[in-house]
Amino acid sequence: MLAEPGHYDYAPYTGRPRIVWPGGARIAVWLAPNIEHYELEPPNNPRKVPWARPVPDILNYTHRDYGNRAGFWRMADVMAKHGVRGSVSLNVALCDHFPEIIERCCELGWELFSHGTYNTRYFYDLSEEQQRMLIADSRETILKYSGQSLDGWLTPAITNDETTQHVLAEEGIKYTLDFVHDDQPMPMKVRKGRLISVPYSLEVNDVPLYQNRNTPVDRYTEMVKAQFDQLYAEGAESGTVMCLPLHPFLSGAPQRIAGLDAALAHIVAHDGVWLATGREIAAWYTEHYYDAFTRWLDAGTPGGRR
Amino acid sequence: MSSDRKGLPPSYFEYPWRRKGLDHERFPFRILPRMAPVAWPGKARVALWVAVHMGHFPMDMPDKPFKAMGGMERPYPSYWDYTQRDYGNRIGVYRLMKALDARGLRATALMSSVLATRYPALMKEVAASKWEVAAGGVDMGKIHHGGLAEEEERALVRDAVATLRGTFGKAVRGWHSPAHSQSMRTLDLVAEAGLDYVTDWINDDMPYEVATSAGKLTAMPLAWDMSDQRLLFSQNMATEDFTDQAKRAFATLYAEAAATGGGRILTLTLTPWLMGQPHRIRALGELLDHILAHAGVWPATGSEIVDAWRATV
Repeated sequence: MLAEPGHYDYAPYTGRPRIVWPGGARIAVWLAPNIEHYELEPPNNPRKVPWARPVPDILNYTHRDYGNRAGFWRMADVMAKHGVRGSVSLNVALCDHFPEIIERCCELGWELFSHGTYNTRYFYDLSEEQQRMLIADSRETILKYSGQSLDGWLTPAITNDETTQHVLAEEGIKYTLDFVHDDQPMPMKVRKGRLISVPYSLEVNDVPLYQNRNTPVDRYTEMVKAQFDQLYAEGAESGTVMCLPLHPFLSGAPQRIAGLDAALAHIVAHDGVWLATGREIAAWYTEHYYDAFTRWLDAGTPGGRR
Repeated sequence: MSSDRKGLPPSYFEYPWRRKGLDHERFPFRILPRMAPVAWPGKARVALWVAVHMGHFPMDMPDKPFKAMGGMERPYPSYWDYTQRDYGNRIGVYRLMKALDARGLRATALMSSVLATRYPALMKEVAASKWEVAAGGVDMGKIHHGGLAEEEERALVRDAVATLRGTFGKAVRGWHSPAHSQSMRTLDLVAEAGLDYVTDWINDDMPYEVATSAGKLTAMPLAWDMSDQRLLFSQNMATEDFTDQAKRAFATLYAEAAATGGGRILTLTLTPWLMGQPHRIRALGELLDHILAHAGVWPATGSEIVDAWRATV
């Protein structure tokens, strides 16, 4: 077992190369709707049983199904109202199950990246070859249904193996979301190829907040606004990234949709905000800052371990 | 870092249900904003459905295959847990009845059938309040789940339906499985027992039709994620957080009904031992008054909504 992921060195939040986003923006804000399908009767993984209750766990199954039938549509309308695109963390089998959802995403100019095949099929205990097979499935399915290339990755249910990031880089994935160690993109150390992390969030994420931390809707809105305000202020010094992960079965519920609406209204009312997709953030960073950050890291960062 | 592990068997990468639509045959996928508009009586925008969990929690209820929501929290014999819940059937439910009666509202009780024999006085009050009674299983310790033998589960359904129909007659049309838990055959057994709507699935804001081996059932959108038990008990939120969410849901649904011309349903799922507490009942009254102050609200029972829905589709 590893004592740490090993994909990055310590990098203090000071003295870093300065990031400026397109148009002089100080913060890149991106929304990551997790559009998922949880199977009614999934196989068991040796390290994770998909459902809390015995199959069929109709309570938890149908709660998630709500997102695809109702929540997604409401959420997409609110995002469109504010002119904010999504970068979809997609269980790619959903393309086959519910192509109507994919059509709506494409119509809105959203990015699709992979969140595995189903949210009930994990990466725990897979061989590298099996991981490659699933990445290929994601690449082909997204291309077939949207014409898009597969650039980003969030391992389904965050069940990555120690080898996953290496395999992602070798398969041509450009950015990974399996890390929440930073508020800026960072180069990843991988066996070969080039991979960066783009900030995801477990903090302003509706699943931990609404499901696990029992957050009332108005508190959710205030937390998202506070997260934005701080990263916006810091962005004057060097560009930051704010990710707002969403789950339609939660944020798209009638009792919560206005909470998202209010948070987005706050964000889009500011100047100097780059409303981007994950792919756009990764591309801008890679083109303009990857080398500078790599040189800075290679030179040995103050407080770093080299 | 590399791995030479063999990985998982090929079956882990087989997807027998990967196709257009859902991964089962009970009902087709439906997109809420694309469904045909539903017309409620009087062209109402929002049907207000108050559903009350009238459960009985035996003190010796099993915690297998899982502990039912609201099950005993402390080791046996937990007088605290038992009596806290029993309070609902002694006191809390009467407060709910008063609050609803005062506003001309009738609830649908999702009732453990053992209550019909345990508390006949309560049954008379329920009948006098003209509440609808739906079968809520035998009691909260009798969970329907995949590990139950077919005959055992059939007996549970028949027992619950026969007991409640013995008291309330054919008006018992709905079903709620204790703790929203089903086996793969629960729906078939419920239809076989002659009921015609179910309230276990939480994937929609509107009714839809479900196929069973014994004819069709209508699925009704009972609130779980916004129920008082979820918010006030499981999630330890304040009473105001519950009423705030209900008001927010109402505002969303009311606006959607106006925008689409199709009716919506606001389901208030209440629990007598929670919302019927003295410190909460005023907040419930205020919530109901807030909703009823709007034009175009149709207060209805579950079966009235089912009938209106069927008449328009």
